[in-house]
Amino acid sequence: MAGHLNHVVIGASAAGLSAACAILKTTPRARVRVVSEEKDAPYFRPMIPFIISGKKGSSDVKMVGQGPYVQEGFELFTNTRVTRVDAGQKRVITDSGQIVSYDRLLIASGGKPYLPPEIEGVDVEGVYALRTLSQARAAAKRSSNVTHAVMLGGGLLNLKAAFSLLEKGLEVTLVVYSPEILSQLMEPEDAVMIRNALEQAGLKIMTGCSARKIVDGSKGVCSVVLDDNREIACEMVFIGKGVRPCVDFLGDSGIEIDSGVVVDRYTKSSMNDIFAAGDVAVTFDPITGERIVTGLWTNAAEMGTCAGKNMAGCPTAYSGTFGVMNATQVAGLPFVSMGVVHPGNNEHEIHKNISDTSYRKLVFSKDGNYLLGLVMIGDIKNAGLYRFIMREQRNIRFLKEKIIGQSLTSADVMYG
Amino acid sequence: MAKPGNSNKKSLDPAVNQMLEKARKENIQTVWDRYEVMLPQCGFGDTGLCCRHCLQGPCRIDPFGDGPKTGICGATADVMVARGLDRAIAAGTAAHSGHAKHLAHTLMKMSLDKTRDYQIKDEVKLKAVSTRMGIPVDGRLAKDIAKDLAQAALADFHEKETPVMWAATVVPEKRVAVLKKHGLVPKGIDHEISEIMHRTLYGVDADPVNLLLAGLRCGVADLAGCYMGTDLADILFGTPSPVTSEANLGTLKKDWVNIALHGHNPVLSDILVSVAREKQGMAISKGAKGFNLVGICCTGNEIMMRHGIPSCTHSVSQETAILTGAVDLMVVDYQCIMPSVATVAQCMGTQVLTTMDLCKITGADHMNFAEEEAVLKAEEILAMAAGNFAKRKGKPVEIPEVKTPVVAGFSVEAIVAALSKLDEKEPLKPVVDHLKAGNIRGVCLYAGCNNVKVPQDENFVIMARKMLKENVLILATGCGAGALMRHGLMDPANVNACCGDGIKAVLTAIGEANGLGGPLPPVLHMGSCVDNSRAVALTVALANYLGVDTSSLPVVASAAEAVSEKAVSIGAYAVAAGLPTHVGVMLPVMGSPLVVDVLTKTVKDLTGGYFIVDLDPESAADKLLAAIDERRKGLGL
Amino acid sequence: MDQVKEIFLRKNRCMGCHSCELACAVAHSASKNMYEAMGEVPLPKNRVYVEAVSENLPIPVLCRHCEDAPCMHACIAGAIRRMEDHSLFTDADKCIGCWTCVMVCPYGVIGRHLDAQKAYRCDRCPDLEEPACVSACPTKALVYQSVTTFSKDKRRHAAEELSRGEGK
Repeated sequence: MAGHLNHVVIGASAAGLSAACAILKTTPRARVRVVSEEKDAPYFRPMIPFIISGKKGSSDVKMVGQGPYVQEGFELFTNTRVTRVDAGQKRVITDSGQIVSYDRLLIASGGKPYLPPEIEGVDVEGVYALRTLSQARAAAKRSSNVTHAVMLGGGLLNLKAAFSLLEKGLEVTLVVYSPEILSQLMEPEDAVMIRNALEQAGLKIMTGCSARKIVDGSKGVCSVVLDDNREIACEMVFIGKGVRPCVDFLGDSGIEIDSGVVVDRYTKSSMNDIFAAGDVAVTFDPITGERIVTGLWTNAAEMGTCAGKNMAGCPTAYSGTFGVMNATQVAGLPFVSMGVVHPGNNEHEIHKNISDTSYRKLVFSKDGNYLLGLVMIGDIKNAGLYRFIMREQRNIRFLKEKIIGQSLTSADVMYG
Repeated sequence: MAKPGNSNKKSLDPAVNQMLEKARKENIQTVWDRYEVMLPQCGFGDTGLCCRHCLQGPCRIDPFGDGPKTGICGATADVMVARGLDRAIAAGTAAHSGHAKHLAHTLMKMSLDKTRDYQIKDEVKLKAVSTRMGIPVDGRLAKDIAKDLAQAALADFHEKETPVMWAATVVPEKRVAVLKKHGLVPKGIDHEISEIMHRTLYGVDADPVNLLLAGLRCGVADLAGCYMGTDLADILFGTPSPVTSEANLGTLKKDWVNIALHGHNPVLSDILVSVAREKQGMAISKGAKGFNLVGICCTGNEIMMRHGIPSCTHSVSQETAILTGAVDLMVVDYQCIMPSVATVAQCMGTQVLTTMDLCKITGADHMNFAEEEAVLKAEEILAMAAGNFAKRKGKPVEIPEVKTPVVAGFSVEAIVAALSKLDEKEPLKPVVDHLKAGNIRGVCLYAGCNNVKVPQDENFVIMARKMLKENVLILATGCGAGALMRHGLMDPANVNACCGDGIKAVLTAIGEANGLGGPLPPVLHMGSCVDNSRAVALTVALANYLGVDTSSLPVVASAAEAVSEKAVSIGAYAVAAGLPTHVGVMLPVMGSPLVVDVLTKTVKDLTGGYFIVDLDPESAADKLLAAIDERRKGLGL
Repeated sequence: MDQVKEIFLRKNRCMGCHSCELACAVAHSASKNMYEAMGEVPLPKNRVYVEAVSENLPIPVLCRHCEDAPCMHACIAGAIRRMEDHSLFTDADKCIGCWTCVMVCPYGVIGRHLDAQKAYRCDRCPDLEEPACVSACPTKALVYQSVTTFSKDKRRHAAEELSRGEGK
């Protein structure tokens, strides 16, 4: 009778919708209800920098019917926040007091932006911790009438948002506490080429300092005061300090939480019939074996699909994901970073290949037989091959010359 | 799936690898990078199964049989492959004989007083060669003899009453008879080249065996071109005798005006060497310590053999000379000059000068060289180089500190002269005695180029070292000589370490009889690639002394890392002369089992010679040793 | 209804002639004509790549239109979708050039148009009777068949070889 099971999915972003589609693909007659606290219909969250720049409108980024999200038949409840999960009774309670019972539940509530408590004034008008489409629309609106923005945090989301603002003609200052931008994705010396490109594109970058206070003026934010008391005048502030799993509604559910929802290899939480996927879930890194939470669309979609299959009665092991994994192009420079990219000790064999137009760092295991991580900047050809051999933990002794010489091909990986 | 003997390294030469690391850092493409990009190479071309001889093409034959089985015209795989091979032989022949023709014209201009910059440096050889050609010499002026000889040389290019004299008079009677029997005596050098082009045209020869025989005949014409090139160069510039020198990139000198002479012909390079020696002041006036001339490829061999000018690198690594940043001018004539030298030169701010109208390169400067004003042109070139030095002076260069001592200069005349110190009346007798006694197990000639498909020098070095241990007397020419010299195999100091006891005793006996106080070098450098004729001459002399045909002797040849079509035509004449001939890279013939069978087996019944294609240097050396032993057995040794 | 056809590889047959690459580029050019395509701006891109396992073993690789396509799920712009014939399609209008698909494709067969900042891939030549690479392959190393036909052929070949005593 699996075909008639009653599924509830909390969250309508990558993990939630991927799971809903996977459930319906596996068991087309299942009931799937997806609950989202956002007012907007599901959308491609990573596209919100394009909302700020104006290159895309809200309707361009909608998810349902696009890409892999073409499965029909799930019920969507927007503007509905789940306040409690009652695992014993197998039901969830919403903010309007509605009680929704389930046979299987997916927690895909995602993450929420981290706001450092040491910064004063994060609630001033014109301060954004960019996460949702409605915030992006508001930021887009304000950005059309101001001249200077300050970005706190040197991560990818802030860089992309910064670029959108630069494109709109704003003066943009990036304030980074770390010694270099993108510190989560690479080591300082890896980022030099990207930093140069960003600066050449007009971004002002201040590293090694942080904001102490955001100052409220007559029309919202008017400046940011740094820890060294320097003050930067601005009309917008973006806080990009990462996200934390959204688990506050799970307090009394009995579900094991370790910063996020802890799941097994089959994406199941500590409670029967409750699964988790995406930014809210604690997954593992296949290389280090460590528990990790990630905030990446690609991971969420993959894990959500996996969870959906498991919920639909088709056991599917999730192979984990690298703690670090990202690809994008900023300031005309494509880059990929994944796996072990901060090899802090002598436990690794490292190869670098640097030219005027590209930078590449390869991190191998100490015995040199396993590829553990890489940073590719400028030329990202065949990045997927490296991800594949890293994830498979393949012994690459015989491919190593080619990996180092940048001549590895798909044929080598598949048939070599 | 790596090919045997083919490791991932690019070159065995540390100097080359140092420069390649520099190229990598500076993002400069070399032949190795371009090769990587080219992979995988087209299987049809690789196997000889593509044809572009007519405008209905290109045609390809599918060796798996699902696709076309013949070309559009109906040519089978056998015909296609044989035609392709013939054209390669014709091209190689055209190049060697073009080089010889250039020397013949120079000799003619000299004899007609059209140029005063050339002299007869070896009158003895002039007379010996002229006598062989039936030109009277007694009581005549050298210049008059030279005119007749130049005329005879030029006459050998076209069809005439007599066969090609530089072929018919340079091999034993018995060999002439074998060649005649199978229709392999060329009528004219240019005639054979032209006839190959005719018969390989759309709709002419479609009999693979007939095609291959024509290829062999053209190969014999190539021997004539090479032989003529050697003879005329010796007459004009002197017959080499032992000389000490050095090899590798370490011969470039930071504070000197470095001129790299690249290509093949001594017509310009020999003049440059002598003018540079007289005009050191031109360099010194620009703040240099003098002119430092170095050779690359066979131009390098020519001037090393005659003047002890060091060789800076060879063949596939020619770009590395420029990568040092220390070359002030690269002067090239023709053949084996990769067009990329001009590109690399632009990266490094080096000037490349082409000097022959048939060989211009986009990105290089051109000055047409004329024998009529050779010294004048040479002075212009030196001034150009000195000017470049003045601009380079003080800028950083990276010259690898790698060089090896070399003893070169082993013309047949020099070898016979050395042997005559052992036996004045019968100089070849000691060699024959050692052959009989087994101190010399056989003779192997290493010739040809460095191919990017082989880690540079690896095949040469592995094979030569193995055969020296087995007491084989090793001769070398061209970039094969270049490979062996850069790895110390032309340094007498290495005889002890490299050679078997027998060959060690022979080299030591000859060396000591000549007052060298030690042995000859392990490998005897016979010159440039046209000078493969010297190896043939030595073989012929031995055959004549013993009263046998060349195909009976335990003499073998190897183009272990061949590139040029010239190597293919040399291979053809080595086989026509009766020698087992190894090629260490794949010839584009694998698409035709019939052609492969003819070249490696059937031809043995005709000429005694045959091809051995083996990419693994270890097993190739074993096969050559087996061929040597088979022949020793045939001679009752 | 006809079974859906796919591009299959008979890998020992590839001669490394790159003819498939040429034909693919021409098929994705504006002019569809080789001589003109060579001069087009931007130059057309091929989506099949003849790669080498070793120097002597060339292999054409191209998008496999994976059943569980990582690229489609990873795409942050919803630019990759599955077509009726089960092939995957990258919508250049939606593609923002973030290269996430490139990062997750385990076959390395997604191309990057750097100037346009768009990803591209094999589309099985929807306007042609059979994909251009298949038509261009001189040794039929690439074939366009349904799964059933391809496996039937494979079985038949194996049986023939066994009956000739060549089976291993």
